[in-house]
Amino acid sequence: MQRAGVRTIKKRDGRVVLYDETKIANAILKALTAAGEEDAAAAARLANEVGEAMAEHHGKDSYRIEDIQDEAEKALMRAGFEAAAKKYILYRAQRTHVRESNTALMKACDEITNADARKSNLKRDNANVDGNTAMGSMLQIGSVAAKTYNSSHLLTEEQAQAHSEGFIHIHDFDFYSLTTTCCQIDIDKMFSGGFSTGHGYLREPQDIQSYAALACIAIQSNQNDQHGGQSIPNFDFGLGKGVAKTYRRLFAENLAKAMQLLAPEEPFDKERAKALCGEIAKKTGVGPQLEGDKAFLDALRLALSALTEEAEKIVRFATESAAKETDRRTFQAMEALVHNLNSMHSRAGAQTPFSSINYGTDTSPEGRMVIKNVLLATEQGLGHGETPIFPIQIFKLKTGVNYEKDDPNYDLFEMACRCSAKRLFPNFTNLDAPYNIKYYQEGRPETEVATMGCRTRVMGNVYDPEREIAFGRGNLSFTSINLPRIAIEAEKDEARFYKNLDSMLELVTRQLLDRFEIQAKKKVRNYPFLMGQGVWLDSDKLGPDDEVREVLKHGTLSIGFIGLAETLAALFGHHHGESREMQEKGLAIVRHMYDFCQAKSAEEGMNFTLLATPAEGLSGRFIRMDKKRYGEIPGVTDHDYYTNSFHVPVYCSISAYDKIQIEAPYHALTPAGHITYVELDGDTAQNLEAFMAVVRCMHDAGVGYGSINHPVDRDPVCGYVGIIHDVCPRCGRREGEEIPMERLAELKKHYPSLTEFMGID
Amino acid sequence: MTEMQYTKQPGKDVGFERIRRITGYLVGTMDKWNDAKKAEEHDRVKHDLPS
Repeated sequence: MQRAGVRTIKKRDGRVVLYDETKIANAILKALTAAGEEDAAAAARLANEVGEAMAEHHGKDSYRIEDIQDEAEKALMRAGFEAAAKKYILYRAQRTHVRESNTALMKACDEITNADARKSNLKRDNANVDGNTAMGSMLQIGSVAAKTYNSSHLLTEEQAQAHSEGFIHIHDFDFYSLTTTCCQIDIDKMFSGGFSTGHGYLREPQDIQSYAALACIAIQSNQNDQHGGQSIPNFDFGLGKGVAKTYRRLFAENLAKAMQLLAPEEPFDKERAKALCGEIAKKTGVGPQLEGDKAFLDALRLALSALTEEAEKIVRFATESAAKETDRRTFQAMEALVHNLNSMHSRAGAQTPFSSINYGTDTSPEGRMVIKNVLLATEQGLGHGETPIFPIQIFKLKTGVNYEKDDPNYDLFEMACRCSAKRLFPNFTNLDAPYNIKYYQEGRPETEVATMGCRTRVMGNVYDPEREIAFGRGNLSFTSINLPRIAIEAEKDEARFYKNLDSMLELVTRQLLDRFEIQAKKKVRNYPFLMGQGVWLDSDKLGPDDEVREVLKHGTLSIGFIGLAETLAALFGHHHGESREMQEKGLAIVRHMYDFCQAKSAEEGMNFTLLATPAEGLSGRFIRMDKKRYGEIPGVTDHDYYTNSFHVPVYCSISAYDKIQIEAPYHALTPAGHITYVELDGDTAQNLEAFMAVVRCMHDAGVGYGSINHPVDRDPVCGYVGIIHDVCPRCGRREGEEIPMERLAELKKHYPSLTEFMGID
Repeated sequence: MTEMQYTKQPGKDVGFERIRRITGYLVGTMDKWNDAKKAEEHDRVKHDLPS
């Protein structure tokens, strides 16, 4: 029976619909059934009571869904169905949660669709995705939808809460159920025998230019299988082989040229030159190579002297021309690589691949030629002299190889410093640091620590101690802890701080393992390049339908942290840049987390590692939340960002030397990755000696990975690159100012490649 | 051609590009940085070298 008063109800979206008591009965029945008290008659009776109560207690115009639900809860309680009432309330809360996240999702989609990226932090969350483009927006919409799903379906209540309230931050959360972070691609192995990108097979390259082009393709393809960056750990060793092939070909070509010119009576073309070189190579065991091989050249001279008296001259011409042309081709190849990596796209065209290359230790003439030319191409910059953003370049420092004046690659170390002083890259990684040198084996480049540009480092391997190498491995996922929050909540009680830190570390460990479980269930075919092409260590032993669980265990699960400085300030009033005592406290905290990771690794047989998180978006996210929760606490929440990992705060006045000494010991405790920066003013950075002194200071102090920051400015109008204060030193204009026509004409005389302007004759 | 090249007044309203390292990597000119990182960059002080 329906009461006269309740004919219609108002839904949440404002629509008015006919009141239907059976719907209420159904909902109540579901709650009863869930509580194991299925009783249709009771459900009908209670629904009827709800109707009556509605008519009695609520005004005629306000029959809303919420009112009905309130009454249904009461009716269940009144009738003694307490368990069912609980189920009903729970279900209702869940629905509310889903509805709210849907609303948030729609709001986010709206912002992505309509806001200008320059004004929206949401759209600038990842600076390498252009949120103003169609594909960038599509990626962002996919990202917010995935985050909504992941947090309501894949996290435990505790994890979801810790993440959403900012106790922890689960990085790359949008990819939670999809893939892993990053990989060091062994480019040498990749090229041997060629590879397939899924859209066709690429033959083993034969020339440095194709080596360089395919290196970009490998990075791009792998980037589509993972959410983080891609790195080549053996750029010099791998691409050096392309230089060697190029030299061999150019040697034969130049040999033929010289013969045709100086011994025209003898029919001697490219093919014959190649065949002759091949024959001699078979006999002497070596072919033509940069910085020649005496046995080969002697044998070649002998063979040629049977044909002509000009043998000596011809061999010299071939040797010199081949070297010069190979060098030129290598430079062009490196120039193209740098251009490609700044312009090519991955991930539905939304993102430039996040690429890194490591080099510096190959002392062969071919490897050295690669290193020299990639540095020259970087120094030169892009088409209009712009500073290349990619690839992130990492120069590996090693005593006996490039660090001391007498070392074979010392000249390249100097070049690297010169390049970095102009272009900010390369950064420097330190193979001599105790925690790096322990893996190093001469003649095995895979044992040299390599870095993923932002800082990720993967070396130790508790899962497979025989394979403590850089190649074919990477991070699986990482989650960072809001360290200052734990310190604030401890209210200066150190013991309480450690207790809460431990429970947070446990929570993160559990969450990383849960995420691993999702990742591990994937098949090789879910990662067509990374696993299908055998890039990841041991994946070449699997078939397309095999689970990747075991091979993934070569990767790392990393626990990161942010804001050690603010943590110390919250606990003790000042930070580790201010006193030796605080440095001890800081080291104790980080060592505690390091020990925790070591213990977990042993316990689980998985690589848990501590990460000095490279906070980009996170630096703002945590502190905004903490400011809201706790207000402005001096030295803790009174800035707009938390300090990066274990860094001394950027605003702290300190000498370069002191900063390095303070930060160095933390590098040993953060095997998942770390970096130390020194800020130099522009003029100091241009002083090569001073620049090198800072790099050496980092190396000697045991900094594992470091770089020097200095201002790099550019006037897009006249193309000047350097330091620009208020006035451009080349064209004399201020920011936003127009250049007078006469001045422009004058500049054009000095700089013929000056930017063209439409509308001017 | 870029946007700034279509003009009869070269340089008008065109700013200087400032490239800074954001963490281990670069992200292009600073207009792409998020607000927190912009604030951080603003606060950075230079570190002296012993002379």
